[in-house]
Amino acid sequence: MYSNNISAAQIHQDYQRRVRESERQQTQAVVEPATRNDEDDEANASETPEQKKRKRRESAAVQKIKQSKEFARRKARRTGEPNGDDNTIAREMLYEKARPMPGQLENCEICSKRFTVTPYSKTGPNGGLLCAKCSKDLEDKEKKSKPRKRGPRSGRRQNQSNLLDGVTQRGAQSLVETCTKKVADNINDIEEFGDLPSPLLHRLSQILSKRRALNSRTLNLFLRPDLDSINIYDCAKLETDDFQKIFAFMPGLERINLRFAGQMKDNVLEYIMNRDLKISHLQLDATNLISDGCWRLFFHKYGLRLKSLKLSNLDFSLDDDTVEEMCMSCNGLERLKLEQCWKVGDRSLRAISTLASLEHLSLSMIREVNNDNLLGIIDNLGPNLRTLSLEGFPAADNRLLEHIHNRCHLLSKLRFTGNTICTDNGFVELFRDWTNPPLEYVDLSSTRDVDNTNPDGPPEPVGLASQGFIALMKHSGPRIRVLNIASCRHVSHAALEEVFSGDKRYPHLQELDVSFHTSIDDYLVKHILRSCPAIKKVVAFACFNIQEVQVPVGVALIGGLKAQDPIIVEGEFQGHMGC
Amino acid sequence: MTTSSSEYVTLVSGDGFEFILPRSTACVSGTIRRMLEPTSNFSEAITGRCVLENISGIVLEKVCEYFCYNEKNKDQVNVPDMDIPPELCLELIMAADYLNT
Repeated sequence: MYSNNISAAQIHQDYQRRVRESERQQTQAVVEPATRNDEDDEANASETPEQKKRKRRESAAVQKIKQSKEFARRKARRTGEPNGDDNTIAREMLYEKARPMPGQLENCEICSKRFTVTPYSKTGPNGGLLCAKCSKDLEDKEKKSKPRKRGPRSGRRQNQSNLLDGVTQRGAQSLVETCTKKVADNINDIEEFGDLPSPLLHRLSQILSKRRALNSRTLNLFLRPDLDSINIYDCAKLETDDFQKIFAFMPGLERINLRFAGQMKDNVLEYIMNRDLKISHLQLDATNLISDGCWRLFFHKYGLRLKSLKLSNLDFSLDDDTVEEMCMSCNGLERLKLEQCWKVGDRSLRAISTLASLEHLSLSMIREVNNDNLLGIIDNLGPNLRTLSLEGFPAADNRLLEHIHNRCHLLSKLRFTGNTICTDNGFVELFRDWTNPPLEYVDLSSTRDVDNTNPDGPPEPVGLASQGFIALMKHSGPRIRVLNIASCRHVSHAALEEVFSGDKRYPHLQELDVSFHTSIDDYLVKHILRSCPAIKKVVAFACFNIQEVQVPVGVALIGGLKAQDPIIVEGEFQGHMGC
Repeated sequence: MTTSSSEYVTLVSGDGFEFILPRSTACVSGTIRRMLEPTSNFSEAITGRCVLENISGIVLEKVCEYFCYNEKNKDQVNVPDMDIPPELCLELIMAADYLNT
């Protein structure tokens, strides 16, 4: 190694010393005590042999570190940084290793107390270790400052949630709504509501039901003898006694709306009959523990008083015999809704067709039924009906539309969904020259051909297709408020363009559902927004051709957009439309 | 008579506290807006003073805070809910319902 009096190690050591000295002058940084001692030594011109030995050992260690993998990793990470040169990094690593290991004693950097180092000991502001108490203080401080660091949240999730609810309101929420939510937040601390007005109680019930916070205790808040209605949207946590309590506390009840009332049993209905309440509007959901015998007795004794009856999700009771008894007894019934009642079949339909006073009928069937029975209902009740909702009649054919056309002249709402038989021509015939005034609410979703091997459908279109849609809008356009044509897949781009083109206006249309119309594109959405000045909500799930649409303030465009946030245009929308 | 179209109006609580607010701010409330409607000839509209007998000073203060909060956040998106002390919320909800806010 020694040739010509030159030693590579010597050169290297000299170089290292120079680097260290210049660094010390530049930064004057406070380093670990060991480093300080070391550098003090270097400052001395005369070095004792021991010091020299130590320095040699150190430089050997540094050399070793420089060859380690960890060193390479750190270097790669810090290239370009001011203190990224090899020796600094290596020395950093060396002294890091020299830090006290867990179990050793050390003086706390802040309070100078002696303590045992643990893996949880924190590093203080100057690099020393902290005792347990100071570590905890430091941690608390970090925790507190964290939320402030995060800054204002974008609220995108909340925005999307509001959008799905159709809420596009800007500015602060109303004080009533804010307070109602606050009351719901603190529901467990509230003893009674006092004389809160009925609409606010209703809203509170909705919020609490949604949060699944309605139980025996919170129910008590809603039991007010002075009110004539009760609306509980989630009775799942109520016991049989709670239902009895409702009717015991509120003798003036006329309108009852209890959903998910699974624990309501025969004796509750019997109690109602014994108390001789004046119930005229009854809506019960999922009351499967009430037997058919009890239903029949109830209808027999109570039927005449009922004006409105809505029963849903009954899979265990309410069979054809019971419906027949109901239709015989409830002669004053104006509104009937039977939704997802598994035992309701053909005989029930025949019985319903005798309810002469019915004005609102809503049927959502599980069982398959004979078309003729449905036609019988339309023939007998049609002239009186104001709203008609038919779901779960997949086999009904054009004759149904024909009968509606001939018999119904007072309808304002029509729902007929999930049918695969009625043809486009049938719909054209329904709406052409119909003496019924324009409809306000139309839902013809999912009326289309479903044959996976033939996505375009048969040559004569099935379901509401181009011509039917044009006829519908021609008939109902002036008054239509809500329109749902989701999944009516055979409506063409040209038909949509014709309906929403240039000068056509639908002044009352507020909600439009065009989900699964792949022909809807940016161009059509623009035209829809222009021809419907009152529009509030456009539902467009799976409309993949909607790419970038400027959505005006106050309109909720749900789904459809590939962009995650709808683009909101300030100010008057019409002014922006040059085309 | 002189203050009928003044820029500020006074709201008086049942227990005698007075709150002076810009007219537009107070008109966040539908009830107060109709009280102050210049064409109505109500005494409130003429004097610019609304006495709200059934609202206490503490609640009315919070209501006024909400008026300003509403005015400040007009036309903004993502407005956080105003902070309401839980013990006030039942009284406040009654007042808010009465004031149509």
